[in-house]
Amino acid sequence: MAEQQQQPKHKRTISRYLQQSHERIFENNRKWVESKTRSDPEFFAKLSAGQSPEYLYIGCADSRVPANEIMGLDAGEVFVHRNIANMVPNTDLNVMSVINYAVRHLHVKHIVVCGHYTCGGVKAAMTPADLGILNPWLRGIRDVYRLHEAELDAIPDEKAKYDRLIELNVVESCRNIIKTAAVQQSYQDNQYPIVHGWVFDLKDGLLKDLKIDFEAMLEGIKKIYNLASSPDRRASTTD
Amino acid sequence: MTVTTNSFDRILAGNAIFARRLTLREPELLAKTAKGQAPEVLWLGCADSRIPETTICDCKPGDIFVHRNIANILTPDDINSASVIEYAVGFVKVNRVMVCGHTKCGGANAAMGDDDLGDILNTWLEPMRALRRQHKSELDKLLTADAKANRLAELNVFRSLEVLKQNPIVQKAMAERGLTLHGLLYDIPAGELLVLEDGKTHVTATTETQHRLNR
Ligand SMILES: [Zn+2]
Ligand SMILES: [Zn+2]
Repeated sequence: MAEQQQQPKHKRTISRYLQQSHERIFENNRKWVESKTRSDPEFFAKLSAGQSPEYLYIGCADSRVPANEIMGLDAGEVFVHRNIANMVPNTDLNVMSVINYAVRHLHVKHIVVCGHYTCGGVKAAMTPADLGILNPWLRGIRDVYRLHEAELDAIPDEKAKYDRLIELNVVESCRNIIKTAAVQQSYQDNQYPIVHGWVFDLKDGLLKDLKIDFEAMLEGIKKIYNLASSPDRRASTTD
Repeated sequence: MTVTTNSFDRILAGNAIFARRLTLREPELLAKTAKGQAPEVLWLGCADSRIPETTICDCKPGDIFVHRNIANILTPDDINSASVIEYAVGFVKVNRVMVCGHTKCGGANAAMGDDDLGDILNTWLEPMRALRRQHKSELDKLLTADAKANRLAELNVFRSLEVLKQNPIVQKAMAERGLTLHGLLYDIPAGELLVLEDGKTHVTATTETQHRLNR
């Protein structure tokens, strides 16, 4: 949580500084519109006709990991949910509604869970402290630790252990996505979406593919969580 | 239909370009972000693919802390968004929170009616549907389905700002260090970000955009 770099700011200049940063965003937005229109006069007309992204991206809220930018994608190409530490809790309505909408209504072909090394959320979960309202959310990461306790405890180096927990947290989020009826049913009918797990490295800006074996994970999960072939398959009433 | 790996390989190629460009053009930015983050802004927006906040604001990695969900709905009992707000305002200490709705929002459109979208989406959209019922007379006066949905998207931004104002960590940061809250509407056909002022409609919109929004 010691991520914040405090900039020494004289109090009187703060409000002016803030005003400038606010105006910068609007100015930048106008510049972006100009440059987009210059390179493709139809760009905004196409976007206003609707969205049909191929990807759903679930990542961390961290400012240093701008979803579409790190993927080299433009406006209209990736549907995005970002929360603290890219979690997919089974009972969280917020993330579940995103997955549901993306799979059932937008028919995305790929779902990507993207974590990142030096994640402050994962760090906080590894710190034995009471973090108030964050406790219930970060408990999910502590649960990931518990699920993989033997493997993690066997790693002597703290940094290596932290990196591995970040990776395992991504794997567990993928697993939770595959547990949903929306994904299982769509995959059975259409052979998509495919779920991927990635980790972004802030040091070099590169994505590392954890090479999750989607088919194998799905088969493993269906032993216990098979929701694809319920007798009364009303797509609209299950998740 | 079989999903080929093409669209997936394309991303990894896109990422390689992103990383190379950053390494070549802004090596100091990469070094800085590797140390920590100090974003100015928390962005609470819609998951819609057409509103990539960092791209449309022409910002850089490290500038904006982000939560995006279906139709940028905030409710006090949602621990997902509440954790983001707590972390961004309480620990990262952003200076402003921007709630951004948008025109042509699929969530707002769905909330204009009561179609059964399944338990999950029905429950998630209920606060927005309640808002629609609450403002029925105003919405009824608007002529087109687009205009109604756009106005509902705006009302939803104001509603989210009210939820933020009730949040203790937000209240504390507003009182102690001047955290400010802002309502925005992104107009997809124009690519333009508009500032919303309490109660008013898209005040900074150009005449052309206003005309289109009102139509
Ligand atoms: Zn993170
Ligand atoms: Zn939307």
